[in-house]
Amino acid sequence: MKENTAGSKNSVSRFMATAAPLVLLLVLALVPLVGPGPNTIRLLFISLVWITASVAWNILGGFAGQVSFGFAVFYGLGAYATAISLNAGLDRVTSLALAALVGATISLLVGLPTFRLRGPYFAIATIGVSEAVRVVMTNLAVTGGASGYRITEKGAFNQHLHFYMALGLAAAAVAISMWIRHSKLGLALISIREDQDAASDLGVNPYGTKLLAHALAAALAAAAGGVYAGYSAFVHPNGVFGFDISVAILLMPIIGGIGTVWGPVIGAVVYGLVQEELIASFPQFHLLLYGGLLILIILFEPGGVLGLINQLFRFVKARTGVGAHT
Amino acid sequence: MNIVDFLNLLVAAVLLAGVYAAMSVGMTIIYGVLKIVNLAHAGFLMLGAYFVYELYTRFNVDPLLGVIFAFPVFFLIGAGIYWLLVRRIPRSDQPTLPSLLLLFGLWLVLQNLGYLIWGNGDHAILTPRTFSTFQIGPIIFPTVRLVVFGAAVASLAGLEFALHRTWFGRAIRALMQNSDAGRIAGVNVDRTAQIAFGIGIAFAGAAGGLLAMMYSFTPDFGGSFLLRAFVIIVLGGLESFAGVAVGALILALVETFSILVIPSGYQPAISFSLLVLALVILPDGVAGLWKKRQRLA
Repeated sequence: MKENTAGSKNSVSRFMATAAPLVLLLVLALVPLVGPGPNTIRLLFISLVWITASVAWNILGGFAGQVSFGFAVFYGLGAYATAISLNAGLDRVTSLALAALVGATISLLVGLPTFRLRGPYFAIATIGVSEAVRVVMTNLAVTGGASGYRITEKGAFNQHLHFYMALGLAAAAVAISMWIRHSKLGLALISIREDQDAASDLGVNPYGTKLLAHALAAALAAAAGGVYAGYSAFVHPNGVFGFDISVAILLMPIIGGIGTVWGPVIGAVVYGLVQEELIASFPQFHLLLYGGLLILIILFEPGGVLGLINQLFRFVKARTGVGAHT
Repeated sequence: MNIVDFLNLLVAAVLLAGVYAAMSVGMTIIYGVLKIVNLAHAGFLMLGAYFVYELYTRFNVDPLLGVIFAFPVFFLIGAGIYWLLVRRIPRSDQPTLPSLLLLFGLWLVLQNLGYLIWGNGDHAILTPRTFSTFQIGPIIFPTVRLVVFGAAVASLAGLEFALHRTWFGRAIRALMQNSDAGRIAGVNVDRTAQIAFGIGIAFAGAAGGLLAMMYSFTPDFGGSFLLRAFVIIVLGGLESFAGVAVGALILALVETFSILVIPSGYQPAISFSLLVLALVILPDGVAGLWKKRQRLA
């Protein structure tokens, strides 16, 4: 096997793309067997839910470049759909599938009118939609309105079950994201992000492709909300439709590295760990910090953590002379 | 509903439309010149409200005078923020991902600075004007709304004058119509964009002060008005000043009269439904409809 600098980089990234995720998955799957405390498992569970939502947002926002400020809508509706299905006696997997279906359907409601148009309409509409849905759910009597909706648990609470569901979903989300990135759909999405006119000249249908990406992302975000609802057994409109949920889902992929497969995962882990500490010590302050962080990332390192790591690699390489062939 | 109720609601709607137009016009200028959607608009509305409130409670400055002070202060803030942040993002003829995220981040910062400084309690500006009304025949005019309407219309007239009679106004309109042609004609794009951003923020701050005279407010104050401003400028076709006036009137009418049939808890859903409806039926806004008719004629 010929080894040159480009080749070794390729083989490293090929290893990252195939073996590393499986090893990571295996390690995570074994964690509960080692017997950490319930709090550790809870933290891991929440991080996995965040990873799913973050990867979902990135499919639309990162690959296709369509910023949505309202992913809490799908997260929240998924939570409600799961809660209602569970109470209706459906099993957990079917409930999650239903939640995903609800998310994908509602995504069309925003996508159909806005993706047809050029300009900022989609981003604008997403700002309104989560507020509108939150208000409707707060007033809706069927789901208990502002007092929230409770899931009646049938068996004993099994934390490991919820952990494995979140792990399975997060793995599925990352797998879908990897598949999209290397498929024709991913190329179409990226070409739309870079130049919609050129993409459509080359035979990409921007309208249909954006709708599809939005629906996929919404389905995943809804399933993430569903897994969370199943765990907490209680859904509250101000909780699941909250503005800070939308902010979180948008912020994570940007922290990690927008438009990449692993950036959103890294961002979600960083966010999950920091959030726990921050929200305890600064209940209002954390959104201020996130806003400032967003501004700094956009201005100085749009590639997020992954961008920083790449820069660091390039810096070290330049310093040590490895691969300096110019 | 009898005719008197109808007239009362109509008057209320028109009075509301004035401040809605003042609140949205800043967004239109910024979008027109820079092609960015100012998501931080809500933050500046909120800051404007607290600016007028602080002047009133600390120095006993009449809120109306406070609103007038807000114009230069927020103009400088806006010009400063343009220099510090906005000019650093790549320019485009369409809103880009970085611009949306940058201004969204700025909104988060402003909103939560508000929480940090003023807490999350309700504030209100109460003057002798607040609860007084006067009547012409059977129609009741709340004094404060009339004053706010007058101030809003006066500020819009001032803007109209500046845009048509001053060199910078012409430069701004030139960039809104065709930025390349404007550049060729000798418009300093960066300077003009800075002034346009400043004016946009000045109107946001002043409109926030006007709204604060009518409603109580928290640091989250701007959020619901942000959506309304979007609906208005989308109805108006994003870049048209006349369109803003029409859009403001449409939204005010729909909101005021919908109280008769839709529970008030669902009010934010009304703005959103109107937005979706506008996108489906009138994607170019009311101004687009007008242009289409001109083209047909």
